Amino acid sequence: MVVCTGCSLLCEDIELALATGAISQVKNLCRKGHGHFQALFTERTMPKIDGQEVSVDQAIKKAADILRNAKHPLLYGWSNSTLEAQRVGIDLARKLGATIDDTMSFCRGILMERVLTGKLPTCTLDDVRNFADTSIFWGSDPSNSHPRHLSRFAYYPRGEKRQKSYEEERTCIVVDVRKSATAKLCSNYFRVPPGGDADFIASVIAVLDGKIPKYGDKKRMIELGTILRKTEYGAISPGLGLVSSIQDRIELLETLVAKLNEITTFKVVPMVEHYNTRGFNQLLLNDTGYLNSVSFHSGQVTHGPENSVIAAAKGCDAALVIGSDPLSSLPFGTAKCLARVPLIAIDPRRSLTTDAAKVVIPSAMYGLEAGGSAIRMDGVKIEFEPIVKSDLLSDEQILKRLKEEI
Amino acid sequence: MEAVVTVVTFRDIFQYEAEKKSRYSEDYRKLSAQIILDKQDMAGLGVKDSQNVLVKNDVGSIVVAVKTSEDDPHPGLAFMVNSPWSNQLVSDDVCTASIPGFKRISAQISPSGENVTQISELFQKMRGQGA
Repeated sequence: MVVCTGCSLLCEDIELALATGAISQVKNLCRKGHGHFQALFTERTMPKIDGQEVSVDQAIKKAADILRNAKHPLLYGWSNSTLEAQRVGIDLARKLGATIDDTMSFCRGILMERVLTGKLPTCTLDDVRNFADTSIFWGSDPSNSHPRHLSRFAYYPRGEKRQKSYEEERTCIVVDVRKSATAKLCSNYFRVPPGGDADFIASVIAVLDGKIPKYGDKKRMIELGTILRKTEYGAISPGLGLVSSIQDRIELLETLVAKLNEITTFKVVPMVEHYNTRGFNQLLLNDTGYLNSVSFHSGQVTHGPENSVIAAAKGCDAALVIGSDPLSSLPFGTAKCLARVPLIAIDPRRSLTTDAAKVVIPSAMYGLEAGGSAIRMDGVKIEFEPIVKSDLLSDEQILKRLKEEI
Repeated sequence: MEAVVTVVTFRDIFQYEAEKKSRYSEDYRKLSAQIILDKQDMAGLGVKDSQNVLVKNDVGSIVVAVKTSEDDPHPGLAFMVNSPWSNQLVSDDVCTASIPGFKRISAQISPSGENVTQISELFQKMRGQGA
């Protein structure tokens, strides 16, 4: 059995056979996972300095020089590295007096902070499979982001207390701006306009209080209230759609969840995108008291939006990017800032970021060429072994070498 | 002819798969550089499926292909798969929660005779080498 590191479900039941240059046989892998494994064979990086191929040793030495000489280095990425690599990365940031941030600071970080600090009740995905009779995908679309979520946990499986599953015992609700692939599967779809989630929450609370909702189709909102009231064990899986709609008014979700828990049981499991985002958040929280956007400048730990990648990119004089492609995934202005500083990219595969990097250090692909451990989206630790022999260094080994050089 | 729309980005598993084969591939470009428009907006703009449009705002501009929405009517609302193309239009001026407006981009759309923007052009812009 192989663990798939294609998303934060970390599916552990993958059966896989590889032939030269391709996957020859596979079982239980979703389309996303298949793409992830197939990436082993395409667009791999080579060690480079200023676009010229060099040895790995030379690339690491050059990267160490850049970081050593930087006054305000930024270390960014981390969501596609193991816990072991992330630990070394946090140590490296401390040693450099650097700013360290991850891919959650500009999306679901505000939500994850509430879960990790106990402000929102949570549960494991195994609890969802065994007990949940209502699942709400709110601003999330697992059919595209976490394709096996519905089949392994939320909707289709026959769990301990849910043997009659989706045919009789499970209800799936989707709240979204668009009729997503998941919304098409579930009979209860509620469309909200962009930014309309706060009003939707207020209406749900109103119907739970027995009042007439001011927003949305009154009849459908009352029906939704009835489903929620009859729920024995509910799970809310919020995505970026919800978080970006309510922004810093996350207490609206807390109020709704508290209200639901006055009536029945409802848990929140955020839809984390990358396979070990939660691991990084948990490690940094344990170490510094903050889950991301931390600066170790001048030996002090500081936290705030000024240390998020969006802001820090504007003021950094060098950046190390690991397992991420911010030039593709971040706003144009941020990408432009990063493209103009000495950039070190540690990545198994070519990207816009590796193309712009002054130094490229190729790394082994975790779950395929290197082993380690990671935290699933629900907080469960998963360990995995490599399935392919590789001479490539892992992120952990590269970061240790960098630390020694510095 | 011009229309003002709110662009909402989303994830697409087929685009993800294409990216894993190659971010520089034609498949990835086709699945990324397209905007899903409501039929009413398309009629107002005088564009048909697969025709190119210029999408622009204060942050940037891109030329992408139109795809007809199969969803219930949503005039004024457009959808794009999250990609380096859509990110050309996303401001890095964030609110207090540090979340850029990936899910609510205000933009103007007009028909275009230009070719769809290539990823190499986006890259050049980031490096300050393009228009």
